[in-house]
Amino acid sequence: MRGWSAIAALLMALLLATPLGAQGPRIEPPAGGIFGPLPGSGQSADPSMPPSVPNQFETPDLIVDLSRPRVSITSAFQGESILLFGMFDPPGEIVVVVVGPPARETVLRKQRVLGLWLNTGRQEFDDVPAYYSIAASQPLQRLLARSAGGEILSLEDRLQSVQSVGQREHDDLTKFRLGLVEVKRREGLYPAAIGQVTIQANRLFRAELSFPSRLPEGTYEIRTYLLREGRIVAAVSRPLPVGKVGFSAQLAGWADNDGALYGLGAIFMALFVGWIGGAVMRRI
Amino acid sequence: MEIYLPIAEQSMNVFILLGLGGAAGLLSGMFGVGGGFLATPLLIFVGIPPAVAVASQANQVVSNSISSLQVHWRRGNVDLRMGLVLLLGGMVGSSAGVSLFTYLKAIGQIDFVIAVLYVVMLSTIGVLMLFESARTYIRRRRNPEAPRGKLHTHYLVHRLPLKLRFYKSKLYISALLPIGIGFAIGVLSAILGVGGGFVLVPAMIYILGMPTAVVIGTSNFQILFVAANVTFLQAATNGTVDVVLALLLILGGVVGAPIGSRVAAKLPGVVLRGLMSVLILAVAVELLTELLRMPSSLYSLGIRQVLP
Repeated sequence: MRGWSAIAALLMALLLATPLGAQGPRIEPPAGGIFGPLPGSGQSADPSMPPSVPNQFETPDLIVDLSRPRVSITSAFQGESILLFGMFDPPGEIVVVVVGPPARETVLRKQRVLGLWLNTGRQEFDDVPAYYSIAASQPLQRLLARSAGGEILSLEDRLQSVQSVGQREHDDLTKFRLGLVEVKRREGLYPAAIGQVTIQANRLFRAELSFPSRLPEGTYEIRTYLLREGRIVAAVSRPLPVGKVGFSAQLAGWADNDGALYGLGAIFMALFVGWIGGAVMRRI
Repeated sequence: MEIYLPIAEQSMNVFILLGLGGAAGLLSGMFGVGGGFLATPLLIFVGIPPAVAVASQANQVVSNSISSLQVHWRRGNVDLRMGLVLLLGGMVGSSAGVSLFTYLKAIGQIDFVIAVLYVVMLSTIGVLMLFESARTYIRRRRNPEAPRGKLHTHYLVHRLPLKLRFYKSKLYISALLPIGIGFAIGVLSAILGVGGGFVLVPAMIYILGMPTAVVIGTSNFQILFVAANVTFLQAATNGTVDVVLALLLILGGVVGAPIGSRVAAKLPGVVLRGLMSVLILAVAVELLTELLRMPSSLYSLGIRQVLP
C-alpha cells in the first residue's frame, strides 16, 4: 500500500507543478505595451504592408480588442480560442488577418528509391509565416472586388512573395510551395476556410480566432481592416504574443539556454525515480 | 487528460504515455530487456517527433537500468571488469552515434535511418529468436533430458591480441571484442534510443561466451552509463530530451516492470521467448510497411529556423 501512495505522490507532484509554475516568469508584452503603438513598421512581420495604412491599435472609425492579450502555452495547453471583438462606424465590412512570426522553413520531398520512400528533394523558403488565417464578414472575393487586394493577401498570394533559397525551376518551385501549404494545413497552421466575422447591430463585430495545439512561439500580428465598397478605410494592428509560461517555459528555457545542465538534471531525475520506484515496487 | 510536452511542443494524452511506459516496463520485467525497442517506434506512431522520441527514450532507459541493476548488484551478478571494458567501447560509440544523429537530422534523413535500422535489427533478432525457441521447444519435447551445450566454444575471435582475464565470467579473451561490441551497442543506443539489451544480451552469451547468470547484470551496468551519456549529449547538442515525456514513461515503467516479472515467473522460458520474437517481428513488419507504402503526403518540413 505504501508503494502505491508514493507513486500517487509522484504523479501529483507532476500535475501540481502546472498551476504552481504558472506564477513563474511570464512573457513580457512587446515594447509599448498592449495599448501602446506598435514600435515602428519595421518591427511588424510583413514587409508587404505599405506605409499608407495606419499602423496603430485604434482609429476613430475602428476599435478592436481581444478576449485575451496573449496565448499562454501551459502544461495543459491544447490549442486556444481567442475572441476578437470591436466596433466600427457603419457602413462597412470587416476583414481580419492573423499572421504568425516569419521563419525559414525547409520543405522535404519524398521519392521512391529502390522501393523505399525517402527524402530526396529539399527546398528552403525564407520569411514563411508560422501561421496564417483570414476571417471576413462577407465572402472575400466580393469584398476585394476593387482595389484592396494589394493589401489584404490571401494565403496563396502571401506565399507568392516568399523568397526561395537557391535556384530551382519555376514549376518545381511551385510544387514545393504547394507542399509547404499542405503540411502547414495538416498541422492546422494555415486554415483552409475563411473564418466568419459576425456583425451585429450594424456596428459591432466579433470573430473567433482558434489556434491549434502545435503552435510555434513568437509574436503574432492581428490586422483588422474596415472596408467600404472594396476599399480599406481604416486598419488596426495588434500584436499577440504566443509563448510557453510557467513550468513548460522554465523547462524549455532551461533546455535551450543550458542543455548540459538540463541533461544532467534529466539523468538525475531518471536515476532518482528509477531507484525509488524499483525499491518500492519490489516490496509490494 | 492531456499534457503539453515542452520540448516535443505538442500536447499528448497522459494515459497513452503512461500506458506506453507501462508496456515497455512489462516487457522489461518479462524478458529482461529494456523495452525501448518497442517504446520508441510506438512513440513515433503516436506522433512524437522521432528526434524527441529517441532522446527522451534514452532518458527512460537510465531509470529502467538503475532499477534492475539494484537487484543484480546486490546478488553479485555484475562482472565489473567486463562491464568497464564494454563501457569503454560504449562511451565512444554513443558519442559518435549522437554526432551521426545530429548530422542525419541536419540533412533530413534521420527518420528514414531510424526506420531502416529498426527494420533490419528487429527482423534479424526476431527471426533468430523465433528459430531458437522453436528448436529448443521441439528438442525438449523429443528428449526432455537432453544435456545443455558446452559453456562456450572457441572461435577465431579468441586469437585476437590484448587478452584479459575476466574472473567473474570465467573468461580469458581479447579486450578488443567487448570493446567492439560496446561500441556497436553505443551507436545503436544513440540513434535508436534503446538501451540495446536485446542485442547486447545475445552478443554476450553467443559471441563472448559469458555465463548467463552475470549477463543481465553486466549488460545493465553498461546500458546505464551509455544511456546516461546519450541523454546528456542529446540534451547538450540537440536539445531533444523531453523530461515530462520521459517522466511519464518512467512512471508507467515502474508500475509495469514488477507485473511483467510476475507474469514471466509463471511461463516457461521457451514460450516467453517465442512470444517476444512474434512481438518483435510484428513491429518490424509494421515499420517496413511504413517504408514501402506510398506516404499520405510526399512533403514534410525540416527544422524551422527563426531568422534574426
